[in-house]
Amino acid sequence: MAVALYAFKKGDTMMKAFAAKLVDLTQKNAEAIARQWAKDVKTNEKTYSYHEAPEEKIIRQAKDFYKNFQMMFFNESPYEQAKEIFEKYAEEKYKEGVPLHETLYALILMRRHMWLYAEFQSLFSVEVEHRQAVESLSRTILMFDYIMYVVTRQYWKMLKLEGLAKRNTQ
Amino acid sequence: MQAYAAKLIDLIESKSENISKQWAADVMTHSRTPSYHFLPKEMVIEQGIDFYKLFRRMSLAENPYEEAKTFSWKYAEDLYRKKIPLQEAIYALMLMRRHLWLYAEFQGTFFTAVEIQQAVESLNRTILMFDYVSYQVTDKYHDLTVVNVGKKLHAVEALMLKGCIGGEKNIFKVGLMTLLVAVALILTYYCHSILGTGVVFTHLFYIPIVLASICCGRKGIFVAIFLGAMILISHAIFLRGVPYTEDIVRAAMFVVVGGIVGWLMEDVRKVKELFDNF
Repeated sequence: MAVALYAFKKGDTMMKAFAAKLVDLTQKNAEAIARQWAKDVKTNEKTYSYHEAPEEKIIRQAKDFYKNFQMMFFNESPYEQAKEIFEKYAEEKYKEGVPLHETLYALILMRRHMWLYAEFQSLFSVEVEHRQAVESLSRTILMFDYIMYVVTRQYWKMLKLEGLAKRNTQ
Repeated sequence: MQAYAAKLIDLIESKSENISKQWAADVMTHSRTPSYHFLPKEMVIEQGIDFYKLFRRMSLAENPYEEAKTFSWKYAEDLYRKKIPLQEAIYALMLMRRHLWLYAEFQGTFFTAVEIQQAVESLNRTILMFDYVSYQVTDKYHDLTVVNVGKKLHAVEALMLKGCIGGEKNIFKVGLMTLLVAVALILTYYCHSILGTGVVFTHLFYIPIVLASICCGRKGIFVAIFLGAMILISHAIFLRGVPYTEDIVRAAMFVVVGGIVGWLMEDVRKVKELFDNF
């Protein structure tokens, strides 16, 4: 099971198939999961900046996120892919003025809603599927670890860049 | 304590030092946590042990979120003080969680079908704990940054005479400058025309010159130019026959000092604007 904590190895198609179940479900039901997430994030006390955001806008963001997440999930270099996609995501959130801890918590809620939806759909109910669940969960966590690291690093970079830009325009 | 997570909790508690040592070896060499490479190993291991002990406390606590703060805030404060970037502090937490699972896997903690089911529950539990801690650490870093910036901003504002540069108090600023320049005019007239000397009193001119540069930045140099010109004109009127050399040097020094202070204060203003972003 711990193998899934790290990258998929080439030819490890069995495990890929196991872990893919959660991502496939998320992809097929991205709209429904995004709506549930939006409802949560707009009322959660740890994501205050989202409360006034237009619902359709944040749903679209979440759908894009799940789409990108799928691409990353199956990529052989997920960290590189995370940098490519989520540095831009961090920049957008930074420009919208959302504090980093809220952006990170919104990401945590995205992951939680993926999992809640899978549980609700009884995706992993029988014995064999519990093993699949562990694989899916481990791989998902790894992806989110990369995303959170990239987003945090980009936020601090943006802060420094903004400072430098201000200095140069003086 | 929930039964499903008991197995993992027992393992973590009994082996917290071993897991922490493995984590420390990883975090102190990992490419995404370069700031940890130079921290004392004992301190890093201690952090790991604190994190792993938190797991049982959170399981026993009525409010696990509040309990998590006992670790998160201390962790954030320690690392912030050591100037560890936030992304590295967060990544170190991720490695803590990963090592916990690697250890459990290595020990064959979850092998049978029932144990695999427990594994899912335990995994969810560790994820929840990590979610709380990572949120609290990020939030605390933000708070510490704001407090730190606030202190620096206060010092910068004091240097700028509480917002004198670019501030709203234009009437006060103009009034003060007018008064000081008027005093300088009277003093020049008195010393040149009545006492017939130009020696000591000109040192007092540095007060309006420096204040003008602090309050107006580079534009403050006009006060220095005005006072320099005034000395030379007054010399021409009242001190005929006395060489100009000393007053020319004095006037030049006014302009140099006013220019340097104004130039430095412009930089101070830029620093203030950077801090204002927070």
